Amino acid sequence: MAETPIDAPSEPALVDFITAQRWYRSKSREIVHANLVTTVPLTTAPPRSSVALVEVRFQPGTHEIYQVILGARPSGERSPGTTIDEAGGTTFYEGLADPAIARELVELMKAGAKVSGAEGTIDLRLVEGIAPLEQAPLEALAVSAEQSNSSVVFDDALILKVYRRLEAGMNPELELLRFLTVHGFANIAALRGWYEYTGPPLDATLGILQDYARCENDGWEFALDALASVPDEFVAHARRLGEVTGAMHIVLASDPSDANFAPEEPSVESLGLLVASVDEEIERVFLDLPGDVEALDSIAGRGEEVRDQLRMLSRVGSPGRIIRHHGDYHLGQVLWTGDDWLVVDFEGEPARSFSERRQKRSPLRDVAGMLRSFAYVSQAAPMLRGVEVPVDFESRLREGFLAGYLGTVDTSLLPSDEHAIERLLAVFELEKAVYELRYELDNRPDWVGIPVAGIERLLGAGVP
Amino acid sequence: MSGELEPTVSEPGNWFERDPLWFKRAVFYEIHLRGFFDGNDDGSGDFRGLTEKLDYLQWLGIDCIWLLPMYASPFRDGGYDIADFYSVDPDYGTIDDVRALLEAAHRRGIRVIADLVMNHTSSDHAWFQESRSSPDSPKRDWYVWSDEDTRYSDARIIFIDTETSNWTWDPVAGAYYWHRFFAHQPDLNYDNPEVQEAMLEVLRFWLDLGLDGFRLDAVPYLYEREGTNCENLPETHAFLARVRAEVDASFPDRVLLAEANQWPADVVEYFGNGNECHMAFHFPIMPRMFMALRREDATPIIEVLRNTPPIPDNCQWGLFLRNHDELTLEMVTDEERDYMYSEYAKDPRMKLNLGIRRRLAPLLDYGRREIELMTAILFSLHGSPILYYGDEIGMGDNVYLGDRDGVRTPMHWTADRNAGFSRADFAQLYLPPLMDPVSGFQAVNVEAQLRTPTSLLLWMRRFIALRKEHPGFGLGTYEPIVTGNPRIFAHIRRYEEDVILCVHNLSRAAQAVELDLSAFEGLVPVEMLGRSSFPPIGTLPYLLTLGSRGFFWFELKGADG
Repeated sequence: MAETPIDAPSEPALVDFITAQRWYRSKSREIVHANLVTTVPLTTAPPRSSVALVEVRFQPGTHEIYQVILGARPSGERSPGTTIDEAGGTTFYEGLADPAIARELVELMKAGAKVSGAEGTIDLRLVEGIAPLEQAPLEALAVSAEQSNSSVVFDDALILKVYRRLEAGMNPELELLRFLTVHGFANIAALRGWYEYTGPPLDATLGILQDYARCENDGWEFALDALASVPDEFVAHARRLGEVTGAMHIVLASDPSDANFAPEEPSVESLGLLVASVDEEIERVFLDLPGDVEALDSIAGRGEEVRDQLRMLSRVGSPGRIIRHHGDYHLGQVLWTGDDWLVVDFEGEPARSFSERRQKRSPLRDVAGMLRSFAYVSQAAPMLRGVEVPVDFESRLREGFLAGYLGTVDTSLLPSDEHAIERLLAVFELEKAVYELRYELDNRPDWVGIPVAGIERLLGAGVP
Repeated sequence: MSGELEPTVSEPGNWFERDPLWFKRAVFYEIHLRGFFDGNDDGSGDFRGLTEKLDYLQWLGIDCIWLLPMYASPFRDGGYDIADFYSVDPDYGTIDDVRALLEAAHRRGIRVIADLVMNHTSSDHAWFQESRSSPDSPKRDWYVWSDEDTRYSDARIIFIDTETSNWTWDPVAGAYYWHRFFAHQPDLNYDNPEVQEAMLEVLRFWLDLGLDGFRLDAVPYLYEREGTNCENLPETHAFLARVRAEVDASFPDRVLLAEANQWPADVVEYFGNGNECHMAFHFPIMPRMFMALRREDATPIIEVLRNTPPIPDNCQWGLFLRNHDELTLEMVTDEERDYMYSEYAKDPRMKLNLGIRRRLAPLLDYGRREIELMTAILFSLHGSPILYYGDEIGMGDNVYLGDRDGVRTPMHWTADRNAGFSRADFAQLYLPPLMDPVSGFQAVNVEAQLRTPTSLLLWMRRFIALRKEHPGFGLGTYEPIVTGNPRIFAHIRRYEEDVILCVHNLSRAAQAVELDLSAFEGLVPVEMLGRSSFPPIGTLPYLLTLGSRGFFWFELKGADG
C-alpha cells in the first residue's frame, strides 16, 4: 500500500467508512484492495476540507471509484459529521455534514474557482445566463443519502447533489439539466452550478447545484395517497404529466446545432439492434426462471411465445426520430409541487454505463417507463396501503397520460401511424417488464407478480 | 475552459478512465473505411458513414476500431502509399470528419486506432518529389539513394509477384532508390535525424487530434545495414523505443501495435522490455489454426504456442483469423504452405504472393460449427482478438476481383439495393457488393441476422460479451493441458481468482478426452454459455465428451459459489 499522506485518513479507515454508507453500491462483493487515489484540497482556512477519490477493487479484476469529501479539524474540536479517522492530531470526518464546508463549496462555484491537487484539478462553475444567486447560502442541511449520491439543502432554496460512485466522462444528469435549463424548460429544478475533476484516474462530474423544489411528495407517494382518497383527481394529474413529458421531449429535440442533442434519423438497423438486445434478455431471463415461484406460473415456459410477440411488435416501419431523453422515467422521478409536475433525477438507469445512458433513443422509451410505473402503483397500492384499487385505474392512467403526451409532443419524433406508435411502445414496455422481472426475482420476490402481469398483458394484447 | 461545459476536443481522457492496459482486455474491429458505410452517397465509404454506424459497433461490444490508412494517397497500394501524412483522402472526408468520428466514438466508449506507415511514402509524396529533384535538395537524404543496385543484396523481396528488385532506377534523380515493397513506395531514410523528427511530428498530430494509437505498418524494415537481411535491426528497435517514450510522455493510454510479420522469437523484440510497442500481431498462429482444423489435429496450435516466448506484462499479442490482407503463409514451412494451398486455395486465383486471399466464412466452407470453433479458439488465447468487418455476419469474398479487393467489398447492411451500403447508383460503387446466392448480401446481411435469433451475428455478440466478462481472457496466464487425444486443444486461463478451462475439439467426429485437472480438485466447472454446472473435479482424470467441432468454456468455481 502506498504511504498515506499526512493530510489524509488512513486507507483502512476510509474503506470502513465508505463500505458502511448507503451509497456504497457493492455491499455483497468481496474487496481485495482499496486505496486513496488522490486528494484535492478544497479549503485551507479552517475547517480544512478536500475531495478524496478512493478506488475499491473487487474480484475478478473490477473496481469502483468513490468521492469522499473530507473535513479536517484539530482533535478535540467537535466535528459535525461521522468521524472517519483520527491521525496526527487531526480528526477526519464526513465533510458534507459540515455546513461550513458545504457552504464553501457553493462559494467556490460562485467564484468560478479552480483548485489543484498533486495530480488533478477541480473546476467549480456556475451556469451562466440565468439569474445569479442572490446571497450567500446561510443554513445548510445535509439530507438523506440516496443510492448513488448525497445532498445538502441550503435555506430551502438550493440543493447540492454530490455524486459518490464516479464514472469517466460527463454525468448525463449535468448534460441534460444544463441543456433544459439553458433552453428554458420550466418543469425542472433549474441547474445553478456544478463541479468536476480533471486528471488521473478519470475526468468526472463530481456534483451539481440546483434550485431546491419544495414539494409535497414524489409522484409515487402522491399516487398512492391519491388512490386512497381521490383517484379521479390523479387521472387528471396523469394527463398533465403526459403534457409535461411531451413538452420536455420537444425541448430536448429543439437544438439541431448541438451534436449531442440534435434529433437524428435512426440508422436502418437501430430497431433491429434494440429488438435483438431485448430478445436476448428475454431468452436469458426465461433460461434463469426458478421453478418454485408460484407468481411465475402464468408465464413459465412461455419464453418463446414472448420472443415471437416481440418480433411481431417490432414491425414498426419508420420508428420516428431518436433524441436524448430522461432515461429512467417513472413516478419516483417526478414531483408534485401542489399545482404542477417537476421532473427530477436525470442520471439515467444506474445499472447502465454512461455511454449507454447517453445514447439517443426514441422518446417513447420514457413514455413506456411511466406506463410501467402506472402498472406498479396500481398493483402495489393494495400491498403498501391496503387500499382497493378500481379495476380500470391503470388503464385510465395510461389513457390520460397518453392523451396528454400525444397531444403535446412533436409527432415527427414518433412513428408515423398510431398502430406503429402502439407497437413501439409495447416493445419498450416489454423491455422494461423483462428488466423488472429479473430485478424483482433478485430483490423483491413479493413483487414478481407485477412484471409477470405486465408480460402477460403484452402477450394477450395481440398486435396493434 | 472557463464557463464551457463541453470538452472541445476529442481527447479520449475526457471519456475514459485512465487505464494503461486497456488494450489487453479489448476486442478490436478492423474496418476498411471505403467498404463500411457511405455517408455522402458517392459510392464509397467514409468517416461520416462510419460515425453513423457506431451504434452498431457499440451494440456488438467492440472496444477499439482499427482503421486502414485513410491519408491522402494515389491508392496504388490500398492507401499504404501515403502522399500526405497530414490530410485524409477526400473520398473519406476531412480532418473535421475525423475529429467528429473520434468524439462520437469516445462518447460511446469506443477507441480508434489507425494504420500508419513509417517505413515508406508514396512516390507522390512531396518529400520524395523534392528528394529526387536534385542531389543538392535539402530532402535528398530523406530517402535511400544509390548509384548501383547491388547494395543490401541479402534483403529478400517481399512482393515477389510484382517486384524483381528492392532497387528501382529513377531517371529524374539519376540514381537508384531503395524500396522494400512496391517500386512506387520509396523507403524513408531513418539514418537521417530529420526524418525521425518529421515522423514523430506526424504521430503527435494525430494523437493531438484524439486518435488512440497506431498500427505501425511494416516496422521491421526502417533501417538498412550491409551484410544483414535489413529486418529487425537494433537501430530499428532503438527508434521504436524513442517513439514509445515520446508517446508515453505526452499521451497517456495510447497504443502502438507493431505489424511485424516475423517469427514470435523475433516479434517479441518489438515489445522491448515493455518499452517499444504495446502490441504486436502473432502471425504464425493463424495459419496453424486453419491447418489444425483441416488436419483435425491440435498439434500445430499447441506447438506454435509452445514456441511463443513470454512477453512483458504490459504487452499483448494481437490475434486475428482474417484481415484485409491475404492469409499470409510467410511464417510456415514450404511443406506446410503446399498443404495450405491444396486445402484452402483450390482455385489458383485464391493465391496472392505467399498467401490466400479469402475471407473467414468461405475459407471454412461457410460451416457454422467451424466458424464458431475457430472464433472460440481465437478468443480463448492470450491475446486481444481482432475481428475483420463483415466476418461477424459470415460475409463471403470475390476471388475474381484483383489483388486483395476480393476481401474488401462493401459491408452487407441490408438486403436492399447496394446491400444498404450506399444510396449512390450501383455503377458508382467503388466495388460491387457480393451477389452470389450463398454469401451475397441478399442472403447474408446485418438486418436479417438481427431478426434471426440463431444467427451468427447474435452468437458473435454474445461471445464478445462473454470474453469481456472474464478478465482472465485478456490478462490471465496460458496453461496448456496435455491430453492423450491429439484432436483436443485444452488449456487453462487464470487471472487472480478467475479460472477458466477451455476445451476445443478439432475433429469432425465426436471425441472423448480425459483431462488432468487434479490441481483444481473440488472446483465445479460451470459452462459459460448455458451456465450449467458439471460434476465437481475429483482426483481422477476428468472425462469430457465433445461433439463434432465442439467446444466448452468453463468457469471453475468453488463448490459453494
